[in-house]
Amino acid sequence: MSYCGNSVPGLIILINRKSMNKKSLKFLLLILLVILALPGTAHAYIGPGAGFAIMGSFWVMFTALFSALIAILTWPIRFIIRSIKGRRAFARSKVKKVVILGLDGMDYGLAEKMLNEGKLPNFAKLREQGCFKPLQTTVPSISPVAWSSFQTGCNPGKHNIFDFLTRDKKTYCPKLSSVDIRGASRNISFGKYNIPFGKSDIRLLRKSKPFWKTLGENGIFSNVLRVPITFPPEKFYGVSLSGMCVPDLRGSQGMFSYYTTEQNNGERTGGEHFNVTRNGERIEARLVGPDNPFLKEAKPLTIPFTVTTSDNSKVELKIGGQTYQLDKDVYTEWITVEFKAGPVKISGICKFLLLSVAPEFELYVTPINIDPAKPAMPISHPAVYSTYLAKSQGPFATLGLAEDSWALNEKVLVDESFIEQCELSDKEREYMFFDSLDKVGRGLCVCVFDGTDRLQHTFWRDIDHDHPIHQGNEPKDRNVIEELYVRMDRLVAKTMEKCKSDDTLLMIISDHGFSTFRHGIDLNRWLEDNGYLRIKDGTRGDKYLTGIDWSQTKAYAVGLTGIYLNLKGRESQGIVDSGQEADTLRDEIAEKLSALNDPAANEPAIKNVYNALKTYKGPYKNEAPDLIVGYNKGYRASWETAVGQVTEEVFHPNLKAWSGDHCIDPTLVPGVLFCNRPVTDDRTRLMDIGPTVLDMFGVEVPAYMDGKALKVAFSETPDKIQKG
Amino acid sequence: MEVIAKILILINSVTNVIGSIVFAPIGIMPGWLSNTIISAVAGVLMLLVFKHTSNQTAIGKVRDGIKANMLAIKLYKDSFSVTITSLAKVFKGAVLLLFYSSKPMLIMIVPVVLLLAQMGLWYQFKPISPGRDALVFITLKDQMSPDFSEVSLEPFSGYEVVTGPVRIYSKKQVFWKIRTVESGKHDLNFKVGQQQFHKELVSGDGFERINPKTPAMKWNDVLFYPADKPFSKDSAVQSIEIEYPRRDSLTCGSDSWIFFFFIISIIAALLFKPFLNVKI
Repeated sequence: MSYCGNSVPGLIILINRKSMNKKSLKFLLLILLVILALPGTAHAYIGPGAGFAIMGSFWVMFTALFSALIAILTWPIRFIIRSIKGRRAFARSKVKKVVILGLDGMDYGLAEKMLNEGKLPNFAKLREQGCFKPLQTTVPSISPVAWSSFQTGCNPGKHNIFDFLTRDKKTYCPKLSSVDIRGASRNISFGKYNIPFGKSDIRLLRKSKPFWKTLGENGIFSNVLRVPITFPPEKFYGVSLSGMCVPDLRGSQGMFSYYTTEQNNGERTGGEHFNVTRNGERIEARLVGPDNPFLKEAKPLTIPFTVTTSDNSKVELKIGGQTYQLDKDVYTEWITVEFKAGPVKISGICKFLLLSVAPEFELYVTPINIDPAKPAMPISHPAVYSTYLAKSQGPFATLGLAEDSWALNEKVLVDESFIEQCELSDKEREYMFFDSLDKVGRGLCVCVFDGTDRLQHTFWRDIDHDHPIHQGNEPKDRNVIEELYVRMDRLVAKTMEKCKSDDTLLMIISDHGFSTFRHGIDLNRWLEDNGYLRIKDGTRGDKYLTGIDWSQTKAYAVGLTGIYLNLKGRESQGIVDSGQEADTLRDEIAEKLSALNDPAANEPAIKNVYNALKTYKGPYKNEAPDLIVGYNKGYRASWETAVGQVTEEVFHPNLKAWSGDHCIDPTLVPGVLFCNRPVTDDRTRLMDIGPTVLDMFGVEVPAYMDGKALKVAFSETPDKIQKG
Repeated sequence: MEVIAKILILINSVTNVIGSIVFAPIGIMPGWLSNTIISAVAGVLMLLVFKHTSNQTAIGKVRDGIKANMLAIKLYKDSFSVTITSLAKVFKGAVLLLFYSSKPMLIMIVPVVLLLAQMGLWYQFKPISPGRDALVFITLKDQMSPDFSEVSLEPFSGYEVVTGPVRIYSKKQVFWKIRTVESGKHDLNFKVGQQQFHKELVSGDGFERINPKTPAMKWNDVLFYPADKPFSKDSAVQSIEIEYPRRDSLTCGSDSWIFFFFIISIIAALLFKPFLNVKI
């Protein structure tokens, strides 16, 4: 007669002794015992909690079992398909696994010095066990160019990346060289609204083919993490997470936000500054996100937030319905923010850093990164790979240039906060790198760490006593660059531990080295002084080359190393005839520029000027700047040249924290190659790494590659490895 | 156990008042509608209880871990070792989820059982239609004399005795078959020796709050037959039970109403989960 008797999902209670304190454990046990000891049945359905828990858990188990069953049952079929498609993958392989650890910007000279001083014991082990050699970089020695050559095994004339920036041939406006992002091609407009149909058009401008795609075609799996110029991600047999040039949620390469009660704070390059007012203890502001895709007129989406100040060391932040406590000088965890545009939610992540509460309130917010768990645009291949990483390790920086050196340059961040940001970013990278090493039993693992580049860029001032902002001769508390190399040495130790198997080849490489950056050279001013460039009256100082009189300009500079001729038929307002006139002009400018001397220091500012037509080969060499400037140590393109401004002077002292650089003559900044096997070649180049990996896996090196497989010595025969 | 039963009597006195007021609209609404509304509201309320009594951070982490491992199986599908390792981690996650749900489950068990007991009064049985027969049982105390001659059911205009009293010595029970004559709530008056005992008889159609049994002082009977105060341990009578007809409906009928409650409460909770930001 019991009317509940037929409906007893019952109680399932599992006690995990480790994760429960004793008091609550006793309480649970007592209740459980009381229920079980009582006469009769516990006729109870305990609501959604129990329902979800039981159903959810069984659903999870069912799905997992089903997936496993499918995986196991289809294993032979997939094995056959892979074997056919992969033309006997691993059959001629000399190794089971190749691991490439990229340390962006690790300098050969500095590494050698610290090795000799005994500060890098794990790198030293690699040197003894295998090799340590300078690795020739590309012309120019800039990360997007170098890493593109690394992944394609080609010179820039075949992969089409010659700088961070190139120019729009119609407008002369500088633009990103590696990716072209456009909105959806089809839109329906009514009134002020605009409804986009279809996906945004995101195109990778890097040409040629990464070597891991060739590996995939031969049935060899690759796990590629944060290699620059892999955005948007390409399809291949493996997984990848895009690196440098992934934009933030606003579409920029990293736009931080700075909120302050201080008035007249001035313009901040690379970031946006907002004046806020204090209302008692409360400050209200808005976090600025991407443009609303449903409005014709560009108008950003925003999220309101409030800050309540309680004392001088902490505040309470309320954003998106959540409350966070901000402690002064302590980064928050990644906070997920959702921008709502009609029915669409665009998810991003950012960190807040309270800089000051009084007398002036100052709050720094990192650029809003694309949320890896729900990416607004593809940042990985397959698309769920970034979700996988976010679920297994938590949110992580997805922005191409994740370390916010602009905020340091603009003195929004102090040194310690920037260093911490770099270290946190490296920790995230380390987690995913080691996860890939654990997951990939056979195949390729590549991971690039950027912190080495950013910290050397920003702290070279500490080791260059002649730098304009070197702070006296007093010893500093810490040597940031040395600490960085030592930290990388610890990373190498952990990596070696995971790569100790005889059939794993470990290579540690960098794309270029580093040098000091004491003076900026305004190339456009030099071109003007030498009669190659003319600016319109009253436009000096205008950005993005908007002040140039193109009808009287023969050459102009864009980006960090390139000079373009204003060629007829190529540039929209070109005046230089291609052919004899252009050839003569190239040689003339190269000759004059090579002789440029810094009058203050009385030293040559330029080491070499490269003629692109003679330096590069391949179908895209005509897309390159006509001349590539190889600066001498201590010199680089000025900050003004980078943004297309023409100033009054050719030489400018570099007073920014960004005090080291590598955009100089490539012969002065070689990268490094460490390997756990001896490499017998005298000359090793970055573009040789891809062919070497192909050769290690027994895959024929494609004829289009300019790189050559390096000679890696083995103590055991490849046959033994295959059997193993 | 008597202590628990006494506590339950106290709780029932409160829930009966609340239940008779809150659930009163059931009497005038279609059964599927009232059960849907109650289940949905209960689902959302229990979701909130779950949110505030569970370790949401830990549940979120376990959920993320499960999703990551499921994705690992897909992403590294050609690696047998990854498939097996991830699978083991998924199972571990499922077990952990159950563990983290145990605390809110234990907290919710009492209010939900009380709620279900109140709902059962409405949905499990239907009143006896006029002219239909029903059995009425009275169970006597163990130590009673085997002579049941002094047990009688007094006549009343609302019903007529068709058969009985029938005595079952082994069970210490006496029963009658009665036939209801007119709709309404009638009192069945029993005489046991010199003592009088009452039990409400509900006759008619539609939804009525029906308590089929006045129970003994046993905690589980007190829990599931909450409407009447139980007989004391030394009472001559230990229980009086009327065999009402079972209600026949998928959404609000005998036994199936609780499954309907289960499904609707889960659906409602699922729908509200994103708005209430609950991890389950």
